[in-house]
Amino acid sequence: MSDTHSASPDGEHRGLFVPREAKIIHTSRPTASEKHFTLQLASGEPLKFTPGQILEVGVMGYGEVPIGIASSPTREASFDIVVRTVGRVTTAINEREVGDSLWIRGPLGHGFELEALRGNDVLIVAGGIGLCPTRSLVEYILDRREEFGRFTLFYGARDPLQLLFTEDRVAWRGSADVDYFETVDRADATWSGNVGVITTLFHKTTSITPDTRVVICGPPIMFEFVLRELDVLGVARENIYVDLERRMKCGVGKCGHCQINDKYCCIDGPVFTFAEIHELEEAI
Amino acid sequence: MRTLFLGAREFAPFVDLLIGSTRVIGPVAKRQKFVFAELESSGDLRLDYDVTILPPKKVFFPPVQPLVCFDAASVRDCIDPVPTVLLGVHPYDVKGIDMTDLLFRERHADWNYLGQREATTIVASGVQSVAPRAFWASIGTEIAPVGHDAFLTAIDGGYVFEPRTPKGVALARHGAFREATPEEIAAAERANAEAAERCSRALPYTSAEIAERVRAAFRDEAMWDALALDCFSCGSCNTVCPTCYCFDVRDTWNLDQTSGTRSRYWDACLTREFASVTMAGGEKENFREHHQSRFRHRFMRKAAYLNEKLGGPACTGCGRCAAACTADIADPVRVITTIMEATA
Repeated sequence: MSDTHSASPDGEHRGLFVPREAKIIHTSRPTASEKHFTLQLASGEPLKFTPGQILEVGVMGYGEVPIGIASSPTREASFDIVVRTVGRVTTAINEREVGDSLWIRGPLGHGFELEALRGNDVLIVAGGIGLCPTRSLVEYILDRREEFGRFTLFYGARDPLQLLFTEDRVAWRGSADVDYFETVDRADATWSGNVGVITTLFHKTTSITPDTRVVICGPPIMFEFVLRELDVLGVARENIYVDLERRMKCGVGKCGHCQINDKYCCIDGPVFTFAEIHELEEAI
Repeated sequence: MRTLFLGAREFAPFVDLLIGSTRVIGPVAKRQKFVFAELESSGDLRLDYDVTILPPKKVFFPPVQPLVCFDAASVRDCIDPVPTVLLGVHPYDVKGIDMTDLLFRERHADWNYLGQREATTIVASGVQSVAPRAFWASIGTEIAPVGHDAFLTAIDGGYVFEPRTPKGVALARHGAFREATPEEIAAAERANAEAAERCSRALPYTSAEIAERVRAAFRDEAMWDALALDCFSCGSCNTVCPTCYCFDVRDTWNLDQTSGTRSRYWDACLTREFASVTMAGGEKENFREHHQSRFRHRFMRKAAYLNEKLGGPACTGCGRCAAACTADIADPVRVITTIMEATA
């Protein structure tokens, strides 16, 4: 997003905090707590963004929360977000239905560096709801498959009931365009796949090399263990991208809640290279 | 721009004429202390104040500031600047305003702040009384205050008025100013130098030394534990700080239950929930869970992180945090001196 964001086309100064209306055109409930929205801007324009960027999504009268965009900008007709019900704002969002509106600001922040990924092998390691912002990159790579090398996707969830994007996962399993591996920490009677934390998937493939570009997104505890595996494999810090979660309240680098040492997660990230942040005591 | 002089008897009529033509905010007495408040008459103005309870940033960044107004049909910003003269701002507070100006302007220009800022004319004034906890004469001395439109210094017989900008020049049209004599200008310089001498609490280190050593002390957990031992996580140090600008955003409904306002409220990084995120199942992930880590974060921000942008520490030496701290542990002179001596 450019620095001139707050000046409207006629040069008048606009508030940084004025949201745009987005119409809900489809919803689904992948799990008991998550809701998947497909949205279109009320203005009719496509939303222009880079995978990994976030939106501040809200309902007027309730507030806003930072949400990673879950679809690829290559699919211009609409865009997706997945919202987990955890508090007052997310409850209000998840009560909205088709025909209602959500109010969004963005895209905000620094997404994945597509130019650095292009032409290379890519591994995405997504834990839990971390698949939502990375799904944007998954779709992007699949839509422009010839621009990338070997593509591997690891996805882990706590248990089978928490797994997101059922249709996508069926498609990925049968696709020659992605080497897809999934796991759950705890199985139930319906589960016949891999059981164990996400790092157990590293033993399922030999396609990860020191030159692979790796993207990690998941709960804070996951990063440390995945980084340890990557260290063993010899992947350079510059080639590791981490998509971090913090309390990105304003989304424009002012309110202070998402600071990681001297960085603002919302404008310097949420996607960082591991080389950028490995010396920051508060990052991982 | 020519330096002007206003006789003592002409000063009250000047201020009253200003009050008649625009909103004027200046230091006034509030019981035993001082606050910046709208002046009703020149008699309210107390240029002999030592320090105000809250810094003047509240004129541009009030404790509660509407950002967006909404109703069932529309959403719009509520930037509504009021032309204002901010009179009698001490130089350390001008520096604070310079810093918040830069921080609200950089990368994403925030017109909810800048709108009122640009509608305001600032008249700085020399310090007459030094607050007991102040140390402004010794911190960040490489940064000069620049955001004021004029500078006012009381001397025997009247006031020396140095306009710095066209807005400052325009202000002088409200009073019976004449050109200051070299003697009057010299007397003003002397008055300000003497005030600086009376501000004797000192940090005898350069900003670069402080930044380097404070940053390097990050992992000295035992030292931060000791420094922050009595912290109540109340956020008083944040609330009174001229360079703190963190905020929370909350929505409120009007009585009709269809219209309302999204506003920002001052927030404080010392408070427990500041960096906390709610996760699945209502669990919290608090990225600065312990009061020591929050206390340390504030000092890192003030002494090290922001230096590159600001040219020096994000501390003006006003001493408000030292005076406001419930446990009296926030004093930057104490904290920075402890770190410097421990790492010497």
